[in-house]
Amino acid sequence: MLGTVVDTQALLRTILAASAVGVGVTLIFSIAIAGAALFADMNRDDRPVAAAAFAVVSVVALAAAGAAVVIGIIVMTQK
Amino acid sequence: MHNDVILVIVVGTALAFDFTNGFHDTANVVATSISTRAMSPRLAVAYAAALNFAGAFISLAVAATVAQDVVDSGAITPTVVFAGLIGGISWNLITWYLGLPSSSSHALIGGVVGSAFAAAGADAVSGDGVLGKVLIPAVMAPILAFLVGVAAILVCYSVAGRLRPGPVSRGYRLGQVVSGGLLALAHGTNDAQKTMGVITLALVTNGTLAPGSDPPTWVIVSAASAIAVGTYSGGWRIIRTMGTRIIRMDPAQGFAAQGAGAAVILASSHYGFPLSTTHVIAGGVMGAGAGKRISAVRWGVAGNIVAAWLLTLPAAAAIGAAAYGFTRIFGTGSLGPAIVTAIGLALVTAAFARRIRQGAPVPAG
Repeated sequence: MLGTVVDTQALLRTILAASAVGVGVTLIFSIAIAGAALFADMNRDDRPVAAAAFAVVSVVALAAAGAAVVIGIIVMTQK
Repeated sequence: MHNDVILVIVVGTALAFDFTNGFHDTANVVATSISTRAMSPRLAVAYAAALNFAGAFISLAVAATVAQDVVDSGAITPTVVFAGLIGGISWNLITWYLGLPSSSSHALIGGVVGSAFAAAGADAVSGDGVLGKVLIPAVMAPILAFLVGVAAILVCYSVAGRLRPGPVSRGYRLGQVVSGGLLALAHGTNDAQKTMGVITLALVTNGTLAPGSDPPTWVIVSAASAIAVGTYSGGWRIIRTMGTRIIRMDPAQGFAAQGAGAAVILASSHYGFPLSTTHVIAGGVMGAGAGKRISAVRWGVAGNIVAAWLLTLPAAAAIGAAAYGFTRIFGTGSLGPAIVTAIGLALVTAAFARRIRQGAPVPAG
C-alpha cells in the first residue's frame, strides 16, 4: 500500500543523504571551530607547533565545509 | 472580457499568496539566527529576502501546478484556482495571527483540493495523491529533521562543548549565516516556483499561453519580487515562536537546527521527495533542543504547532470550498471573484489594524 503512493526509493535516499550530510557537515564545521579555538589557546600559551597544527586542521575542515555548501548550491541549481 | 478580468484577479491573488508565503515562512529561515544573535532582526530578514529573490531564479523547472498530483487537471478552472488561493492565503493569515508556523504549500494544496471538491465532487480529488504528496511527507519531514537535529547537536557538543564558549559561539554564529542563507535560497527556489506554476496554469487555461509553455519573464520577476517583499516584511509573531518559544537556543543549537534543516531540504530536493520547509525547520529546532535535554523543548508549544499542521489541509480545504461556493452564487463571471477579493481585502485590513492596535512585536535593530 505504502509503496504504491510513496516513492520509497526516493524516501530512503533522502533519509540516508540527509543524515549523512547533516551530521557530516556539522562534524566538519565543529572540527573547524574547535581547531580555531585551540589554535588561539595554543598561540596564547606560546606553543607555536601545536598552534600551527590546529590552524591547519581548522583551515582544512573549513575548506571541506565550504565545499559542502558549494555542492549544496549546485544540487539546487540542477533540480 | 470576463475571462480577462478573472485572470487579472487570479494573478493578483497568486501574488498575494506569494507575499503571505514569504511573510509567513520568513520565520523558518531567520528565527534561529535572530534568537542566537547571529544576525540582527532587520539584517536577517533583508538577507533572507535577497536570497529568496535570488532563489526564485535558480531553477525554472516549474511544475504545472503545486496541486497537479492531488486534483484532476480537468477540474481546474481559473475560479477553482482563485478559490484555492483564497483558502491558502486565509490559512496563512490565521496561523500568522496565532503565531503558529504551518506549511504554506500544504495550505495552497488544501485550498485547491477543497475548491476542486466543491466544483467537481469527490472524483476530482486523488486520495493517493493527497496521501503520498502531502500526508506522508508531513509526517516524515519533522521526524527526519528531528533525528538529524539530535545527532547534529550531540556532535557539536562532543567536539566543541568543552572549549572556551566565546570563540565557539562566534564560530557557530558565523556558521548560521551560511546555513541560514542556504535555507533562504532553497525556500525561494521551492516556493516562488509554486506561484509561478499557478499563474502559468491560469494563463494557459485562459488561452493566453499555449499548454506546456514556460512562465513568461514578468511572471518570474513578479513572483520573485512578491516572495522577497513578503519575506522582508517579516512575520514577527511566528519568528518569536520558532526562535524562542519552542526552545531557548544557544548558537550551537541554532547551527545544528539550521544545518539539519538545510541537509534535509537539499536531500529531498535532490531525490524528488517533497518536504515542507516549515515542517523540516520546526523538526530541526525541536531535535536540537531535545538533543541537549528532552525537557528543554516546550512540548506544549510543539503540540500547538503539530495541531496547526494537522488542521492545515482540512481547514484550507474548507475555506477553499466555501470561497468557491460563495463565488458561484454570483454566476460564472468575474463578479464573484471580485466580491470575494473585496471582502478578503477588508478582512485582512481589519486584522492588520487590530494587530497594530494590539502592538505587533516588531523588534528594534
